[in-house]
Amino acid sequence: MWRKSSEGSDRFEYLQTLVTEFQDTDCEEAKEQVLANLANFAYDPTNMEHLRQLQVTDLFLDMLTEDNENFVEFGMGGLCNLSMDPECRELILQSGGIRLVTDCLSSQREETVLSAITTLMNLAAAPSPRSSHITDPAVLQCMLRFSLSESPRLRNLATVFLRDCCGEEQVARAERQMQGQQSAVGIPLPKDG
Amino acid sequence: MVQGVPAIGVMTELIQLCALYGAVEEYRPLDEYPAEDFTEVYLVKFQKLTSARAAKRRMDEKSFYGGVLHVCYVPEYESVEDTRSKLLDRRRYIMRAAQNKVREREQKETGNEEPTTSKTATTSEKIISRRDRMTNNDNRGENSNFSHYSGFPLLPLPPQEHPYYGHKTQHGTIPTEDKMGTLHNAIINTKQQPAQGLSFSQTSSDRESGTEQRLTPNPASVVRFVPRTTNLENRKRKKEDVPEDTHTDVSGKSEPLIGPKLPEPPKLDMEDESLNTTVSLIRSTMKQVGSVPDIKPVEKKIKPRRRI
Repeated sequence: MWRKSSEGSDRFEYLQTLVTEFQDTDCEEAKEQVLANLANFAYDPTNMEHLRQLQVTDLFLDMLTEDNENFVEFGMGGLCNLSMDPECRELILQSGGIRLVTDCLSSQREETVLSAITTLMNLAAAPSPRSSHITDPAVLQCMLRFSLSESPRLRNLATVFLRDCCGEEQVARAERQMQGQQSAVGIPLPKDG
Repeated sequence: MVQGVPAIGVMTELIQLCALYGAVEEYRPLDEYPAEDFTEVYLVKFQKLTSARAAKRRMDEKSFYGGVLHVCYVPEYESVEDTRSKLLDRRRYIMRAAQNKVREREQKETGNEEPTTSKTATTSEKIISRRDRMTNNDNRGENSNFSHYSGFPLLPLPPQEHPYYGHKTQHGTIPTEDKMGTLHNAIINTKQQPAQGLSFSQTSSDRESGTEQRLTPNPASVVRFVPRTTNLENRKRKKEDVPEDTHTDVSGKSEPLIGPKLPEPPKLDMEDESLNTTVSLIRSTMKQVGSVPDIKPVEKKIKPRRRI
């Protein structure tokens, strides 16, 4: 197990090597592996500042719009980790992160969705005015649907989101709006419907 | 969750073993979980997350009464409260770590001009002063290398592979041990293929040794990570527009829904024309897919995944 060394400069250099590797290699598999490593390193608070300096926050955000679902999953995971850090949180918000993350709620990969929900919760904790968009009705409705999901992990996270990030009235309003749309989940109704 | 427990009536012994790592809150056999012949599966819930982590680390892959235990987390068995406290604990831990860092820096600073909470340091000057502080924290002699910033080359020396670096093939799993939850451990499982083919496998071995002495005296701070510019530029442009335009369709009611549909069958109007559109689209896609020779599927490289 890697001891938490106080050699900040070593860490920085090592992380930089990883980032350079990611940029330089053309091999997709190699990129995936580096990205996975970076995402995992982002879990350790001692690395967060270095990763921030290396603009890895932006790197992760970039990954969210990639076609490769692994890139998206790992990028989302990395953001989930970094978004625990207030300064990274601010960066993510400034870079239009909310939109990118909420788009990930539509992913087919459960891990991606789970990371996205957690990230939104972290972002919602920010005092920034931008974070108010996290509780837009569409997002709440999505969370309400998730809270009824078969997957326990999805259910739990969505429930915690609804309880901790939104007011009761907001949730109630979203519920009411949802009931009006129950007959056509995601499919537009004909005009005379 | 503990799998591979020999079905010879050793549940008590198993729980006693678990209790070595911390108080066990509850446990039960998981009859619904698939188990190999002559083995049982148990769910063990610890009072503390740290106990669970220790138990997993120590008991996984260990032999137990003739069988080999396989221990992994099962977040799907968490309650909502469990999930919530897990997240809250994690947040508190991060805050504490951040505060410690700030405190450390404040102790070392002597009327430093730079604010401790400065944002992303975009100038090498800032990075250098931060590194100054970092090196001040170290009492080890080998850091004398870092104190000279006068001239640094553009690139750091390639990481040296030292003989005393431990090399674990499962290096990727190490960070997962620190995880308080399982949100991200799935990533590593697919990456346990031999990494020899990849150039950075040597550098990753650095991590194993806590006493690594990197002979790279040149501060890498001047080498800036330049991200792919395309998305970055776009996003920087959008920074100003964020409050206005990006959320109109998020809040629209008839706009595409956020998130996937629920698993239960949606209540559909079967007469709806749009259904036919979808069906024809699917059919034509299937035709296309069917006509293409087997492409190397993504799953090919993912071996039967072991839950970690």
